[in-house]
Amino acid sequence: MTHLTRLIAVLATAMAFAVPATAQDGPLRIEITEGVIEPLPFAIPNFVPESGGAGELAANITRVLSEDLTGTGLFREIPQSAHIGSVTSFSSPVQYADWKAINAQALITGGVTVQGDRVTVKFRLYDVFSGQEMGDGLQFSGTTAGWRRMAHKVADTVYSRITGEGPYFDSRVVYVSETGPKDDRRKRLAIMDYDGANTQYLTDSSSIVLAPRFSPTGDRVLYTSYETGFPKIYVLDVASVGRRTLTTPEGTMSFAPRFAPNGQTVVYSLSQGGNTDIYAMDINSGQSVQLTTAPSIETAPSFSPDGSQIVFESDRSGSQQLYVMPAGGGEPRRISFGQGRYGTPVWSPRGDLIAFTKQSKGRFHIGVMRTDGSEERLLTASFLDEGPTWSPNGRVIMFTRETQGEQGSASLYSVDISGRNLKKVRTEGAASDPSWSPLQN
Amino acid sequence: MTRAALTLMAVLAVAACDKGRRFDNNVNLGAGANGAVVPGSANDPASPLYFQQSVGDRVLFAVDQHTLSDSARAVLNAQAQWLMTNADYTAVIEGHADEQGTREYNLALGGRRANAVREYLITQGVSAARLKTVSYGKERPIEICSVESCYEKNRRAVTVLAAGAIS
Amino acid sequence: MHTGHIISGAGHLALFAWAFIGSFSLPPDDAIQVTDVALVSPEEFAALTPPVDQAPGADTAVAELPAPEAADTPPEATPQTDSTPEQAPPETAAAPAPEAAPEKPDLTTPQADVSDTTSTITAPSEDVAVVVPETPDEAPRDIPRVAPRPVVRPDRDVAVGESPQAPTAPSDTAEEVQPAEEEKAPEEATTRIVTEADDKGQGLPKSSKRPPASRPVKTAAVEPDPKPANTPEPKPAPAQTETATPRPEQKEAINDALSRALAGAADAAPDTPPAGPSGPPLTSGEKEALRVAVSACWNTGSLSTDALRTTVVVTVEMSQDGKPLAETIRMLTSSGGTGTAARQAFEAARRAIIRCGAQGFGLPVDKYDHWREIEMTFNPEKMRIK
Repeated sequence: MTHLTRLIAVLATAMAFAVPATAQDGPLRIEITEGVIEPLPFAIPNFVPESGGAGELAANITRVLSEDLTGTGLFREIPQSAHIGSVTSFSSPVQYADWKAINAQALITGGVTVQGDRVTVKFRLYDVFSGQEMGDGLQFSGTTAGWRRMAHKVADTVYSRITGEGPYFDSRVVYVSETGPKDDRRKRLAIMDYDGANTQYLTDSSSIVLAPRFSPTGDRVLYTSYETGFPKIYVLDVASVGRRTLTTPEGTMSFAPRFAPNGQTVVYSLSQGGNTDIYAMDINSGQSVQLTTAPSIETAPSFSPDGSQIVFESDRSGSQQLYVMPAGGGEPRRISFGQGRYGTPVWSPRGDLIAFTKQSKGRFHIGVMRTDGSEERLLTASFLDEGPTWSPNGRVIMFTRETQGEQGSASLYSVDISGRNLKKVRTEGAASDPSWSPLQN
Repeated sequence: MTRAALTLMAVLAVAACDKGRRFDNNVNLGAGANGAVVPGSANDPASPLYFQQSVGDRVLFAVDQHTLSDSARAVLNAQAQWLMTNADYTAVIEGHADEQGTREYNLALGGRRANAVREYLITQGVSAARLKTVSYGKERPIEICSVESCYEKNRRAVTVLAAGAIS
Repeated sequence: MHTGHIISGAGHLALFAWAFIGSFSLPPDDAIQVTDVALVSPEEFAALTPPVDQAPGADTAVAELPAPEAADTPPEATPQTDSTPEQAPPETAAAPAPEAAPEKPDLTTPQADVSDTTSTITAPSEDVAVVVPETPDEAPRDIPRVAPRPVVRPDRDVAVGESPQAPTAPSDTAEEVQPAEEEKAPEEATTRIVTEADDKGQGLPKSSKRPPASRPVKTAAVEPDPKPANTPEPKPAPAQTETATPRPEQKEAINDALSRALAGAADAAPDTPPAGPSGPPLTSGEKEALRVAVSACWNTGSLSTDALRTTVVVTVEMSQDGKPLAETIRMLTSSGGTGTAARQAFEAARRAIIRCGAQGFGLPVDKYDHWREIEMTFNPEKMRIK
């Protein structure tokens, strides 16, 4: 017995030194803090034409849809040439294995029907790895002339479902179309789909026009024009292209007009006697009130989406900086503190960020910062970038980029809020001063 | 008879002006028979061309500034002189900026420069009612290279004459 | 009697002494290859870790994919009426068919391909073909793929086989004809998003000349891969019992257990012989391998900015061959985001687990108890502004 006891004692003591090989307590816990950022691969076989003569339209809609998604930089299309399976009928079940094999994570199928001048587009979105549909299939219909809008609507739905972001493809951009050399620039207002299609001209180039801005519903555009020989602000109705001036005192200059979210109030800059301040005017009554009273330059105002605050630029500190004040005027609070000069602030439609132009060390940047000025991030750098405008979902910024030198000209560029996917926006000729419309009904 | 009529007309024409020496003894019939000054040409000290080329219709500014340098003031003194001599002109002072700035700010800056010129001319005796200001910001550069030698020429305020006396 | 006592005591003391001292001097029989880092050639290293390479799903060469088995008998059930704007019915028709399919195609995807390439961080490499490889000394380049470890396409230095241990992500070399070397090389990646505003040429230390092979190699040296396939089976027990004083059987058995326990304690390099399904806890190297495996498939690129502010904790149960059981993946908690954002974040996490786990995570079977249930916290804070 003693023998055994001793053995057990030794054993027990030895066990005490052994690595405990008992069962685990609780699950294995790990933390994933880093991942990859890569475009999500998707496959989109041509939408199926379900009526005679719809073939070309179906192919076009498929193409626009795909370009919308890949244009965001967040998606990557797996070319149709790589598809194993095919979709010949909208209602036949999906062979997920075919799409998994080519590593498509999302699959979009659709059908197009044309009847007279009406076109109907329907689609389904599949999560390939889960082997199931993602959300319900939907159907849109409209005129054949507006087929691009329907492609954008489908793309918006797919985009929102997968990323969780708000949609933005079904929108337009108003801008200044430019021709001629730097010392003889002709400018006129133009409007186009966000992707550059369907360009129309809203004014002629007989006088300088600057910095148009959409109304909150996208039905009107405010802009500055020199047609009287002096810069004055005008409001233009997009549908009728009719316009009228907003009356300001004789001998003054007014410019940089922007709508308040209520679509009624216009905030702008008035320059007289060498001093520029910010004013607000009721667009119907024409009554105006002065919001800033400082001997410095105050300009480029922009409303917050809830209409309660205005961000603007002022050089009261000695250099251009950004300030925020209540919408009715009042003590402004400075929010920019970096090295350099800040201008053209624009409040994001999501209310969370302010985009701006920054000049520093001879370079221009488009940047964003939180509404209290923190977390400043620069997204671009070049000889001359300025005038950002937000997409309706607050995810993408479009701006003007001008190249230097005698041959220099302006173009529109867009960039994702993360700084990725910087690319040129397709326009007919040189372009500047873009303003992005809200999502169309 | 004819000569008398003409002389009368000349006297009357001259009488309307304060110190008008616009019309010479030769009332614009025949080109400068005296051979000296052609009215309306750059030779004519009372012509806008003369104002532009000999007096100097513009002043330049430093980057981001709207203060007048000494040389600028010298030019503006001459401008003021001319304007008071030729009182039947009004002027629009155009302010400009170079391209190294954002659009709205440059508009405002041009306005500051134009206003600086205007206020100085007023201190020199020119009637305020004759002077208007406008700003073109960076929209109307005259030099288009993207270096300082061009930029400095674009940072300007130009006094543009317009005929028409203030009644 | 006394003799017995003495011998027993001596034997035990010897055992004790061996436990305390001997372990430091006695080289374990189960050949832990403690070699210099520099001396592990790529081939050797690759030989050490084949299972890892084949871990996460490699959906490759389309051409070699055998016809999907179960999926080709879809019930041709009622093509639903297309007149209704909301088309929910197709789900029922489509769902039954692929149900049987999900796991199978994963298995049958040509593993042959994967084993050819010793290890590839493969991912959509389409864009890589376009990017001209620049000198690795530059600041992070603007290429579409961002991953935790910067990878430069080894155009000159890196030998083809020498690549990180990190498991593969599904590749789609199927899509287009690729030059052969691209399949073998690691996917080009930078560590962060390059915005135009980044001051290039400031000597940012993020890109490296070659994939950080040092880390995995060290892992091999210090904590040799305890994969079952490689783990030398022989236990020290037989050796011990030989040296131990012969005893009656029960004591031998006790001795066996004792020596095994002691062996477990004794190993400086924890290439522990499997002591049973619930062996020692996972080493940090194994945990790291799992983390890296899941990270490689965690694509935050298509998440909304709201979802990028949401941390989700996800639990998953694993099968014994190291594969996640997809239906057991569920979200435990989320923080920092609303319902939609949390759902998006969860979906991305779920995708990461399924994609990279399709081939198994290569976790040691002998420690199955320790990783039968895994709780993963996906914290995108670092991914937000990269």
